[in-house]
Amino acid sequence: MRTFVVGGLTVLAAAAGFAQTARGTLAGTVTLRDTAVPAVTVEVKNQLTNAVLTATTEKSGRYKLTDLPEGVYEVSIPPLGIAAGRFVQKDVAIKAGETTALDIALKQGNLATLGDDNGFFAIHNNSQGVRGPAPRTRDGHPDLSGVWNVNLDPHPTPASLLPWAEGVMKERRETNFRDQPSGFCLPDDPTPTLPLLRRFVYTPTMLVQLFEQEPHYRQIFLDGREHPRDADPTWMGHAVGRWEKDTLVVDTTGFNDKSWVLFAEGLPHTDKLHMIERYRRPDLGHLVVDLTLDDPATFAKPIERHMTWQLAPKDEVLESICTENNKYQQNAGIQ
Amino acid sequence: MRKFVFVACAIACLSTPVVAHHSFAAEFDITKPVTLTGKVTKIEWTNPHAYLFIDVQDAQSGAVTNWEIEMGSPNGLTRLGWTRTLVKAGDMVTVEGSMGRNKPNLANARSVVMTATGKKLGAASSEATQ
Repeated sequence: MRTFVVGGLTVLAAAAGFAQTARGTLAGTVTLRDTAVPAVTVEVKNQLTNAVLTATTEKSGRYKLTDLPEGVYEVSIPPLGIAAGRFVQKDVAIKAGETTALDIALKQGNLATLGDDNGFFAIHNNSQGVRGPAPRTRDGHPDLSGVWNVNLDPHPTPASLLPWAEGVMKERRETNFRDQPSGFCLPDDPTPTLPLLRRFVYTPTMLVQLFEQEPHYRQIFLDGREHPRDADPTWMGHAVGRWEKDTLVVDTTGFNDKSWVLFAEGLPHTDKLHMIERYRRPDLGHLVVDLTLDDPATFAKPIERHMTWQLAPKDEVLESICTENNKYQQNAGIQ
Repeated sequence: MRKFVFVACAIACLSTPVVAHHSFAAEFDITKPVTLTGKVTKIEWTNPHAYLFIDVQDAQSGAVTNWEIEMGSPNGLTRLGWTRTLVKAGDMVTVEGSMGRNKPNLANARSVVMTATGKKLGAASSEATQ
């Protein structure tokens, strides 16, 4: 089990106050390991009305929300890759005519093993300032090619599992997720939710995805073929895609039942798993990914995840050979 | 009118079970923090994890123990500004992390500081926005 430790709230005295009627200001800086974090969303929810306002941090990590009605608020920042878990601070009082200062020190995720977050924020910070329309290929479709910094659904709905699957999850929690496949250099998860870099190579007949974990690639056939009948089940399944206007819809079946699906959740599934991904590139710098997982033998209802990934134009997918020096079994005491 | 408003609150610490490259909690015990200062004897710049080995001398007995320190992957460390030659055998470092559960003298590294300069390695250089 990995635990995100989040918090480290710095309490500051307020800066200048503003004499306004029943409105106040919230301002501060978001940092991770003493470094400003730009372009993250700070969500501010009124605890009485549930009204939500958001601000995006500037290059300096600063954020500011003015004209907040006086009241008590929950301030939160969604999880950011493996780098930092969800930050939540409740009961932040906003008073009329005053500025409440709230500096937020995100704690490194993953129980903070140095380098284990795969450099999410270094990539994130390298990727700022990408502007422009989505490129298109000669066949007229948006070109999904590029290196993408995979990020999580900021507001995931908890998966609803059948009793047997709940039992499996209980056992996984009790054993500290010890048997997770990647510990043994096997593929963890066929879903595109691992917060690592993922390179898309788009051609009119195939979308190839490359990433830094087993099995390091995925092929999505775009040539009109169907899923094979009675194929051998595989870790990544058999994927075919087709365009619906500017959205590439990818349909994957034929999975084995060995992987643990959805990063940070590690859910079980059967070989009836059916995954649908919908990819849109609304502009040069972003990929919108809507994911549906259906497995009536495991999930009480289909699971949906909605993610927005950022283009990482200055970064590359690098080699990562897990069997080179994997000490996991030895260090986890697995015989 | 200038007023000071204090946000009176406890530190918000959330614990969410998270699965990543492999299970952290199967290897390390977050409730057992450890700080170690010692001389680097070896670095393994390998996947899926890089390791530092350091000789740590017990202040009282003088006995020297070689500790194995697990870090992230070379790819993750590279993006934090590390290189394979950043830390060399003979360098003195201070490591903060958590104790291993199943193997003596094993810990992970949450931070690594070069003792000579006080420089925190991989902390900020490549994460700066400029």
